[in-house]
Amino acid sequence: MSFETNFWNNWNFWNDWNSVYELRMLEVEDLRVAYGELLALQGVSLTIRPGEMVALVGPNGAGKSTLLKTISGLLAPRAGAIRWQDKIITAASPQRIVEHGIALVPEGRRLFAAMTVRENLELGAFTERAQKEKRAQMERVFTLFPRLFERQRQTAGSLSGGEQQMLALGRALMGLPRLLLLDEPSLGLAPKIVESIFVILAELHRDGMSLLIVEQNVHAVLTLVQRAYILEGGRIVGEGDGKKLLEDDHIRAAYLGPLARGAR
Amino acid sequence: MKLLGAGIMLAAAFAALPLFTMRSDLLNLGVQIFLAVVLAESWNLLGGYAGQINLGHAAFFGLGALVTRTLWVGGTPLILALFPGALVAMLFGLIIGVPAFRLRGAYFAIGTLGLAEILRITIGNLLPQISTIPAAELTSYNILPRYYLTLAMAMVSVGVVAWLVPSRLGLGIRAVREDEAAAEATGVSTLRHKLLALALSTALAGLAGGAFAYYHVSYYPQHTFSPAWTFDAVLMSYIGGVGTVHGPVLGALFYVILREVLAVRWVEFHLIIFGVLFMLVVLFFPGGLVEAWQRARRLVSRGSENSK
Amino acid sequence: MILTQQLILGLLVGGLYGLAAAGLSLTFGVLRVLNVAHGELLMLGGYGTFWLFTLWKIDPFVSLLAVAPAMFVLGLLLYWALFQFVVKAHEDTRIKNSLLIGFGLTLVLHALAIRLWTADERAVTTAYAGAVLRLGGLAIPWLRLSSLVFAFGILTALHLFLAKARWGRAIRATAEDWEAAALMGIPVGKTYLLAFALGTALAGIAGGLVSVSYAISPSIGLEWTLKALVVIVLAGLGSLFGSFAGGIILGLAEAMSVVFVGGPYREVVGLILFLIVLVVRPQGLFGARS
Repeated sequence: MSFETNFWNNWNFWNDWNSVYELRMLEVEDLRVAYGELLALQGVSLTIRPGEMVALVGPNGAGKSTLLKTISGLLAPRAGAIRWQDKIITAASPQRIVEHGIALVPEGRRLFAAMTVRENLELGAFTERAQKEKRAQMERVFTLFPRLFERQRQTAGSLSGGEQQMLALGRALMGLPRLLLLDEPSLGLAPKIVESIFVILAELHRDGMSLLIVEQNVHAVLTLVQRAYILEGGRIVGEGDGKKLLEDDHIRAAYLGPLARGAR
Repeated sequence: MKLLGAGIMLAAAFAALPLFTMRSDLLNLGVQIFLAVVLAESWNLLGGYAGQINLGHAAFFGLGALVTRTLWVGGTPLILALFPGALVAMLFGLIIGVPAFRLRGAYFAIGTLGLAEILRITIGNLLPQISTIPAAELTSYNILPRYYLTLAMAMVSVGVVAWLVPSRLGLGIRAVREDEAAAEATGVSTLRHKLLALALSTALAGLAGGAFAYYHVSYYPQHTFSPAWTFDAVLMSYIGGVGTVHGPVLGALFYVILREVLAVRWVEFHLIIFGVLFMLVVLFFPGGLVEAWQRARRLVSRGSENSK
Repeated sequence: MILTQQLILGLLVGGLYGLAAAGLSLTFGVLRVLNVAHGELLMLGGYGTFWLFTLWKIDPFVSLLAVAPAMFVLGLLLYWALFQFVVKAHEDTRIKNSLLIGFGLTLVLHALAIRLWTADERAVTTAYAGAVLRLGGLAIPWLRLSSLVFAFGILTALHLFLAKARWGRAIRATAEDWEAAALMGIPVGKTYLLAFALGTALAGIAGGLVSVSYAISPSIGLEWTLKALVVIVLAGLGSLFGSFAGGIILGLAEAMSVVFVGGPYREVVGLILFLIVLVVRPQGLFGARS
């Protein structure tokens, strides 16, 4: 086993056990979420199995962020259910969701800009469970993101875009999640940095982490994931194998544009 | 329409009261009630309808009282003394409003709070002596003109609000309360509407102050700038039903009468009761007495339907 | 010479202004709730110290060990009974409602104080009250100097708590972005509760210090709320030491006004300064956000 794989063994145990019994990790069932009178999600259902890396793609305003926020407990649904390892967690508080083992890396990172890198990471380990592993986990995060180690005493606001994304990711990891939700991780980042972020996500996945990634950058994410859902207008309109979806004409037309079609 | 009828009946009843009794305690109570109505309606115009919380309402009441008292005691006929009072109050309101409205909600509130205190302390320093009516007026003091003046003012204040609310201006003002950004986007000049509500609110408060100056025989000028007047206005508006035309009237009636009942033995007690009641209304029962009344009526009508 | 003497006194009282403002700044910064009853809470703390001294001869600085926790508990109660409902709304409604609730609370606490303890002025006069440090031609009251140092010490302790402790950091994170804080597993409700209780305790401590060097009565509530507001507007939010500095600036400004305009207008100058800064630069002189 590689050096890094040893470190993430925490997750390996639970994920292997789950997959043996085919337990669904996260199950969203007919979720309806509204902002006032506006129905943003109109009956969304999806499943994440242990150890899976799943993408959620779709146009702006489709409701992708809304879905992640609802799973994380920031929004309460009108109707529908969310189950985590067969336990109902619909409308649980964000704090309980983190304790269960789901962490959201929010859109735009939402770092505590006035606080240092180190402080941001320490805050990520706020829960009781994470506090016990804080030191060890921070070392692991620094190993994964050496740049953060260098800049640990700098304020989060002074970091570059890519470093901020790494910090957001590291902060979420500090909570010892079993499922990582990412909302537009590539937003505002240069292609090279996006690549490095996705390399890390792939690495996390290889070491047992389950991931649900919401992305506009369809090309980058679909080549990476096993499965993907397509969300349009608050509904799931498609599901399938990542690479196959990338070759689907509808997807290419909708999200990759005329250039992509020409490039084939 | 039913409200209008009830209001007219109420006003008529009050107007007719002196025909049946000349008991000074009742007539004084009446004056207190009418002043309270003006105070509450004027605050409610800005606070309830425009959504701008004015914590320094006393400043405008005090300015009206100051100007009117000075002019009237100096010989100006009362009618001519009242309007400068209202005018000065309105001007001060606009002076603070124009800069303060550029800022967000809390700043206007604490800015007016600060302004009221500045005025109270300054007036307290400049005019520390008690202000009394000259002896000639004192001997001929008659409660009746005060009674009818304040009753008329109360009716005017209710009338102004009742006229304003359904008008185009009123709609604009309420739009500002609901969502300033949206109102601005649909072409409603939020600043203009807020200033209009402010101008009316402070002018009415100034009139009330003027009436107070005419009514009260002797008082310390700084007393009219006391935050107690603001408390009263806010409490009455909310307990009665903020953002309605008749809420402040109900609140004023309830507040003044209960205060009289309690004042016999427990002077501060009524403030504690009303303070707690006020907080409960703000948190859990924003409709106040108006809403309580409507709910009670619905319960009764449902009850009578069930018994059919 | 008179000017310098007044400036020293202004500096000394300014520290208390800063302490009073720090509590309000904490609750406003974290909960986005403007508790205009803050001065009344300060007044209660002052009475606590006064009665502990008058009834049981407990030295005021020592009695703070009891007053501070008691005020902390009062803060917990007030949050539980009132402000937890206020924070449920969105920011603009939240501020509006907090002003109203604070207003109502001011009324109730003020009336309660008059009911319980009458409107008379009280002061704690310890044996060492009159002691004065003489420097050059200046007379610096030891008591006020100790209060200043004490206030600074409290703020330093609070600063360390916010900087290093798990819950202190949670408070700072919640103040900056409560949703992101919630995503870390930080229980936002409990954080609010803690911040509010700390703010109340700070008010109580400030009140205790006020009772020692100055007089207290039920009417100091509104006065100190305004002082705290003036300091917050001067110094902006976001920094405890900024509040402290702002308090000192207010104290000095008042001192200068006493010398040039006269005693009775002392409060007015501060308030006028407040209005000017409010209109010209609402985020304050050192402020991070408005």
